[in-house]
Amino acid sequence: MKPIRVLIAKPGLDGHDRGALIIAQALRDHGMEVIYTGLRQSPIQIARAAVQEDVDVVGLSSLSGAHNSLFPKVVAALEKEGASDIPVIGGGVIPAEDIPHLEEQGVKKIFTSGAPTDATAIYIKQLMNQETRTAPKKVSHIGIAVENIEQSLAFYQHTLGLEVEAVEEVASEQVRVAFLPIGDTRIELLEPLSDESSIRKFIAKKGEGIHHIALEVDDIAKRLEQYQVEGVPLIHKEPKQGAHNSQIAFLHPKAAGGVLYELTEPKGEQ
Amino acid sequence: MNQSNNYQRIKDNWKHDVKKTEQRFPERKQTFTTSSELEINRLYTPKESSETYTEELGFPGQFPYTRGIQPTMYRSRYWTMRQYAGFGSAEETNERFRYLLAQGQTGLSVAFDLPTQIGYDSDDPMAEGEVGKVGVAIDTLLDMERLFDQIPLDKVSTSMTINAPASILLAMYIAVGEKQGVSPEKLTGTIQNDILKEYIARGTYIYPPKPSMRLITDIFGYCHEQLPKFNTISISGYHIREAGSTAVQEVAFTIANGMAYVDAAIESGLEVDQFAPRLAFFFNAHNQFFEEAAKFRAARRIWAKIMKDHYKAENPKSWKLRFHTQTGGSTLTAQQPDNNIVRVTVQALSAVMGGTQSLHTNSRDEALALPTEDSARIALRTQQIIAQESGVADTIDPLGGSYYVEALTDEIEEEVNKYLERIKELGGAVQAVEEGFMQREIHQTAYEAQKRIESNEDIVVGLNDYKLEEEVNPDLLRVDEALETDQIEKTEQVRNSRNQTEVDECLKGLKQAAKTNENVMPHIVAAVRVYATVGEIANVLRDEFGEYTGV
Repeated sequence: MKPIRVLIAKPGLDGHDRGALIIAQALRDHGMEVIYTGLRQSPIQIARAAVQEDVDVVGLSSLSGAHNSLFPKVVAALEKEGASDIPVIGGGVIPAEDIPHLEEQGVKKIFTSGAPTDATAIYIKQLMNQETRTAPKKVSHIGIAVENIEQSLAFYQHTLGLEVEAVEEVASEQVRVAFLPIGDTRIELLEPLSDESSIRKFIAKKGEGIHHIALEVDDIAKRLEQYQVEGVPLIHKEPKQGAHNSQIAFLHPKAAGGVLYELTEPKGEQ
Repeated sequence: MNQSNNYQRIKDNWKHDVKKTEQRFPERKQTFTTSSELEINRLYTPKESSETYTEELGFPGQFPYTRGIQPTMYRSRYWTMRQYAGFGSAEETNERFRYLLAQGQTGLSVAFDLPTQIGYDSDDPMAEGEVGKVGVAIDTLLDMERLFDQIPLDKVSTSMTINAPASILLAMYIAVGEKQGVSPEKLTGTIQNDILKEYIARGTYIYPPKPSMRLITDIFGYCHEQLPKFNTISISGYHIREAGSTAVQEVAFTIANGMAYVDAAIESGLEVDQFAPRLAFFFNAHNQFFEEAAKFRAARRIWAKIMKDHYKAENPKSWKLRFHTQTGGSTLTAQQPDNNIVRVTVQALSAVMGGTQSLHTNSRDEALALPTEDSARIALRTQQIIAQESGVADTIDPLGGSYYVEALTDEIEEEVNKYLERIKELGGAVQAVEEGFMQREIHQTAYEAQKRIESNEDIVVGLNDYKLEEEVNPDLLRVDEALETDQIEKTEQVRNSRNQTEVDECLKGLKQAAKTNENVMPHIVAAVRVYATVGEIANVLRDEFGEYTGV
């Protein structure tokens, strides 16, 4: 397979290229061919170099605060050179608030200071293999741990006016669950059936309350595989059977600031 | 002469120097004591004299200056608290300067924006997006006048971080002084003016190394005549360290560069003692406290020996390595920025223990943006607390005699000398820079350091360990994007209202001087007086000298 070619460029007048040189070396260590433009490149020079060198990706680095002005100009210059298919990524001293603006202007991704070099390399590989992931489609359900479903139902049924869709036992997890649809999503009440149930342990530790949020995704298996490569902490490394023949897996709460996320892929239409 | 006689003799010399110094700079207190009323001596020395002590350490203010360059050090005067500042327009920066002076800062330090540092006017296409971002935008003398508005140049000393166009900004400083009625011989301050480290580490070069070296020696010669109190260069290891070097590489490459400047000045016909007393240095302070303190002590000793033994300088002022220190910007993290206050404290303390002459403490938010007024104040307060509350400035060189620190000082000296030997074999610093030797050494070190952090072999608190799940976004300083248009307009107005014939005459004179060996400085001073722009003057020299494009 042809190695991925990357152009690393320093747009503008900023002369601090330690980060650019480190990234260039790290990408080479990941088997990529890297061309470094050197300092003080204008957006048009960068775009022309990208075309001449026939690169797959352009990586920009800036520490001078000129990123908001310069990065979009590189995207525009690539377009002018007929190379709008070359994605542009960026890094440097870039405040988080500037990221939405840059993404809106066509920069694919910004790596802020402190991002490991591996993350950039993995992202580029995924970008090249068309493996970049789409965001989850919706919240499938919100799981709420309760002592007793019947007692809790009063609030959901009477105060909120929701309807119960189904109540079932999941023996493998030692829980009983009730589903209450709300718009496109559901509330799932979880009641422990034994002391071995993880819901029992959750309630003992934290009391009743929100237990997890389930997100609906496509191709859960591939997503988990990618997460594993990236070192995202996981509870399940492979999808397992969930309710209604869906495929599910839990991420470790460490991955998301203490929130437990479930990924779920509903079974196909057939 | 036997050893203890020798020891007694140099000790007596020192005591004599202390008396002399006290007449000019009395000590801050009659007696210094600890909280328990224990009296603090001016200096602590070994109980028994030894050859190593007299030759390698000696007394403060005495060759080889391991224990400091002044006989009484901070007992008389604290280091200069000199915070680096500048952003946006001259007016905004002037406001920040006056705020810092009102808060007790004792010297100014100007940050210029990148177009100014690379000799482009704000309306040059190359300047797009960069005007006023990392420093103040200066295009003409008018901007410089506004920058120092209501700041008397005979009362403050000003350090200017300017390299490739140092001659132009220095000329503007002279012209502002004249307008305030302050003659050049009264001006005090420093221009960075160290081009070699730009090729190695910082990237704001304009011309190729050889004509750049000529501009520097022109400044040496001009200042020797006209600005006797001005530091004509600040030979900088700071950026070399920021680019990823080790402490040893920082000192080695800085001193190698320093030797290149001395060689160039001698070659241009100056006597070593004519310019060497005005050479200053600039170092970095990172987190490894003892290594940093030892580094400063070693650097001083190495330079003193080189100046005395190798260059045969006779004036003791030529032997003294005087240096400014800045805490390490690259050690600061965007994660949990308040932790940076602690890092800066440790680093600043190492600089004080190492005997720095002036100090800039970085602000906690510098891994994210330029400092806000709040964070700039906390950074200055950090220095004031070290000076006024910690008591570390009450005795001279408190780490002197520590088995560990002295051993580290010796080892750093030895390792630095190995590098100096290697650079000499390559033909000196200019040659080594042209071949990319220092650049390669630094990049290798930087990459290895990054890998150690990513493998968690080295811990950076808050970055790869002790992380917070949710970061609070601090308030950041933003430079107004409209500033660029305003600055361009202002410069156009100056161009329209000045006497163009005078400007053309001056630039022609400069071109002639650049072609020959004539000192360019008087021509640059003349050009800025009639409001020629930074870009116009730099372009004349670009035409003559060419531009450098990197290795």
